Amino acid sequence: MSWVTRVPVGRRSLFAERRRAALGIAGVTVALLLVLTLDGIFAGATRQLSRYIDTSPADVFVSQPGVRTMHMSSSSVPLASVQAVQQLDGVAWAEPILYQSGYLTGDAGRQLAYIVGSVPGAPGGPPTLTAGTAAGPGEMVVDERAAEAMGLTVGDTVQALGREWRLSGLTSGLTNISNTVAFVPFDDFTAAAGLQETVSYVLVGVSSGRAPAEVARSIQETTGLTALTRSAFSVEERGLVRDMSTDLMLIMTVAAFVIALAVVGLTLYAATLARLREIGVMKALGARPRLLARIVLAQAAWTVGPAVVLAAALALALGVVVEAASPNVSMVVEPVSLVRTVVGAVLLGALGAASPLIKVARVDPATVFRRSL
Amino acid sequence: MNDIAVEAQGLTRVFGEGDVQVRAVHDVDLAVRRGEVVLIMGPSGSGKTTLLSMLGAMLRPTSGRIVVDGVDLATLPESRLPMFRARRFGFVFQDFNLLSALTAQENVEFALNLTGQTGRRSRTTARRLLEGFGLGARLRFKPHKLSGGEKQRVAIARALANEPAVILADEPTANLDSKIGHEIARLLRRAASQQGRAVVIVSHDARLKDIADRILWLEDGEFRSMTEMATDPVCGMAVEREDAPHVRHDGETFFFCSTACRDEFAADPRRFHPTVTGTIA
Repeated sequence: MSWVTRVPVGRRSLFAERRRAALGIAGVTVALLLVLTLDGIFAGATRQLSRYIDTSPADVFVSQPGVRTMHMSSSSVPLASVQAVQQLDGVAWAEPILYQSGYLTGDAGRQLAYIVGSVPGAPGGPPTLTAGTAAGPGEMVVDERAAEAMGLTVGDTVQALGREWRLSGLTSGLTNISNTVAFVPFDDFTAAAGLQETVSYVLVGVSSGRAPAEVARSIQETTGLTALTRSAFSVEERGLVRDMSTDLMLIMTVAAFVIALAVVGLTLYAATLARLREIGVMKALGARPRLLARIVLAQAAWTVGPAVVLAAALALALGVVVEAASPNVSMVVEPVSLVRTVVGAVLLGALGAASPLIKVARVDPATVFRRSL
Repeated sequence: MNDIAVEAQGLTRVFGEGDVQVRAVHDVDLAVRRGEVVLIMGPSGSGKTTLLSMLGAMLRPTSGRIVVDGVDLATLPESRLPMFRARRFGFVFQDFNLLSALTAQENVEFALNLTGQTGRRSRTTARRLLEGFGLGARLRFKPHKLSGGEKQRVAIARALANEPAVILADEPTANLDSKIGHEIARLLRRAASQQGRAVVIVSHDARLKDIADRILWLEDGEFRSMTEMATDPVCGMAVEREDAPHVRHDGETFFFCSTACRDEFAADPRRFHPTVTGTIA
C-alpha cells in the first residue's frame, strides 16, 4: 500500500502543537475513562449482587411461579414442594431457604441486607466462614465488611427482622456498594417473620451425570413452579439490575460521550483553523479533497486512538486501585465494554472531524496568493 | 512539442454584480514560451494576483481561455484541476508557504506524493533536489529553523519537484535581502534556461528585471506596456531593449548596458559570441 509511505501530514500537523494535541487526547481519555469506569463499576456491582447465587452449591433454583430473581422479588413456595421436588428423578437434594430484604442495625450504623434463613448444616448458608462459627439458634452470620461498617465483632448483638441476634460468625465477598447478605437459622427466620408452611426458594442439587437445565425443566413441568439453573438465575438477577439502571447509565454514558465529542471536535477544529493557510497551500499545490479529508481523519484517529488505549489502561488500573481502596466496590472492565467504547470512539472521531472537514472543503486555494488569511 | 507553455487569450475576470461589479482582469492576452522568464509588474490592486490565480488553475476566468502545456483549462472538470496543478505547475510564494509541521525534505516529498511518487523514490528525489540547492545539511530542519533564503530555496525545490511546465512565482524575493533575493532570482532564471520551464513572476521588485526576458506592466486589469529585455553579452547585465545601445551583427541585434560594452563587443565579437562570424553593421 502506497499510502503508508506518504508524508504523514495529519499526524505531523497534529503533534506540531504538542500541548494542544496532548490536551485533546487527555480530554478524550478522561471522557472515555468515565464511560469505562461507570460501566466497570456497574458490572462489578451486578456481579457482587449475584455472588450469593454464583457461589451457591445449588444447581437449580426453584421459586414461586413467575419469580425469576431474588433482587426486588418476593417468592413464596409451599413447604410441601420441597419434598415433592426432592422426589423427582435427577434431584440429589433439595433444601429450602427463606429470604427477605431488611436492615441490619449495629452499634455504629445500619446496613441494607438480604437476610437468608437456611437450615443449619445444609446448603444455602454462607459460602465461607472467615471468623466465628455457623449460626445457631438466635445467631446470625454477617459479611465481614458489613460487620466492620456497623462496628460489630463476633459476639456482638445485631438487630434484624424485629429482634436481636448474636453475631456468631463472619463470611466474606457478599457486601457490595448497596447492600450485604446475612444468614440466620431457618426456624428462627420462620418465627421472626411469622411464616407458616412456606419457604422462599428451594435450592436443588442434581444427581451426578444429570444436566441442571434438564432437571430444571422437569421440576417446572412437574410442580408448576419456576425452576432455573444457577447460571440462568444469575443472569436474570443481573439483568434485572441492569434493566433498572439502564436509563441512568445511558444518560451518564451519553453525557460522557458528548463531552468527548466536544473535546475531539474542538481539538480538530482548532488544529484546522490554525492551519487554514497551509490547507490552502496544499490545495494550491494539488492536494485533492480526498487527501485533505484523510489528513483531518488521521488527526481524529491520532486524537481518539491513543485516548482509547490510555482510557482502557487507566480503567484497568483504576479497577485494581478501587478494589484495594474500597473492598465494597468492585470495578470490572468487561470486553464488551471495551468494544463498545472503541466503537463509540470511532464514531466520536468521525463526528468530531465533520466540522473541520467542512471548513477544509471551503478553503479557496487562491488564498495562498493573499498576504494574510 | 509546442514551444508555448502557457497561453492566455482574452482573459477576463469579473467579481460581483451590478454596482459593485469589479473587472479585475480585462481582455488579457499572454503567451509564455518554455525557457522564458516573464515578469509581471504593476501597482497594488492592478489584477496581478487574480491573473496569477487564473493562470495557476485556481480561479476560473469569466471569459477567455487558458491553455497550459497544450491543455485548455476550460475542458478540465473541477475534480481534475488539483492533479493538473500538481503535475503542470510549480508555485513559489512571497511567504514561502512551507508546511510548518514538516521538515524541508518532507515539504518537497509532499509535492511528490501529490503526483503519486511515494516511499524511497520520493525521499531520494527530494533529497537530491535539496542537495542541489545546497540544503543537504538542512534536510531534517523544520521551516522555523531555516533562514528566509533557505525557506525560499526549499519552496523552489518543491516547485520543481514534479518537473512542471510552468512556474508561477508570487513576489518571490519580497521577504529577502538583496543578496539572497538575487540568489533566488538566479535559481528561477536557471529553472527557465537550463530546464526549459516557463517562469511567470509577479513582483514589485525591480531587481527581477535582471533575469526577465519580458516585463509586462499590468494596470487596471490590462497590460499597459511591454518591455523586451536582453542580456548584455559583455557584462551579462539585463537591459531593456528599447533604450539600450545596440549593434546589429550578422543579422542579429545585440544590446548593451553602455556604449563601453558595445565598443568592447565591436572590437572582437567572437570573444563574447563565438558563433558570430560576420561583420558589424
